Amino acid sequence: MAVPVNLERLYDEHSQALYGLLMNFTRNESDTRDLLQELFVKLAQRPSLLEGVRDERAFLLRLAHNLAIDLFRRRGTREEKHEQWVNETAALFAATSEPDERTFRESLSAALGELPAEQRAVVHLKLWEDLTFEQIAELLDLPLNTAASRYRYGLDKLRQRLRPLYDEINEI
Amino acid sequence: MKSDPFEQQLRRQPLRDVPPEWRETILSAARQAAESPRPPRPTSNVSAWRLLFSTLNSQLSTLLWPAPRAWGGLAAVWLAIAGMNLATRDTAARISGSDPLPSHQLLLSLKEQERLLAELIGPHEAPPETKSKPAAPGPRSQSAPQTGSV
Repeated sequence: MAVPVNLERLYDEHSQALYGLLMNFTRNESDTRDLLQELFVKLAQRPSLLEGVRDERAFLLRLAHNLAIDLFRRRGTREEKHEQWVNETAALFAATSEPDERTFRESLSAALGELPAEQRAVVHLKLWEDLTFEQIAELLDLPLNTAASRYRYGLDKLRQRLRPLYDEINEI
Repeated sequence: MKSDPFEQQLRRQPLRDVPPEWRETILSAARQAAESPRPPRPTSNVSAWRLLFSTLNSQLSTLLWPAPRAWGGLAAVWLAIAGMNLATRDTAARISGSDPLPSHQLLLSLKEQERLLAELIGPHEAPPETKSKPAAPGPRSQSAPQTGSV
């Protein structure tokens, strides 16, 4: 008999990380909420999912990633291009009153949206979840070198895209 | 691995907070789902087949997802090759089976060629007789003595 899951605790501890990852994938608040709800419903219906899990955060991020990919596939069959879906307008980063910061965040959000989903996942987990390549590789079921190279390619694209703005902001 | 200033700048960008009103909505939906019984597992054969096809479909779409157009193209090429193969096989069968008897003209032409050949090689000669087999040896009493008795 599986031990009941403390959903409230899980939500309080991990919803921010899950929200960030899902928002980075969907760029759409409504889809993110649906996926987050789907994830918690799944946990509530199958408490055994968490049995023997060592790293709750990594497991939940993996679950969220898989749900986002499933949605991506479903959308992909209906829409001509994934870009149509990615280029949603929902902001990924916190609002700021500082104009340079705001511009940089908007540009970063747009640049992340242009990355292929597999690179975006690795970049997100590395930069905003501070996971190691070993953890990312395990979470996304990838070879270690693939995780590292996806990060490098993704970061290079972001650098290429944001370098002028970054230099301009840092010159001041 | 040490991160460069650009990476550090990216890390410093704070992600948006999850809207606080979601907590109650999501958790109450999850609690409700936990209390409601899960849908029963399919028992009939039809449902089992449907489940099997659904699983197969899901697995295949996972496998083929990275390049669906490439796989589609490959399948189309394969079908085209199979179609061409069938079409040519039909034609070959039709050619071999449609006109089994040689035409009258063809027979005349063959006869003409045979006549010309006969004229070229001369009158037909009977093949030389085959060498007759040596007679089987008779009984020893009938054979001539080769050596004188002592």
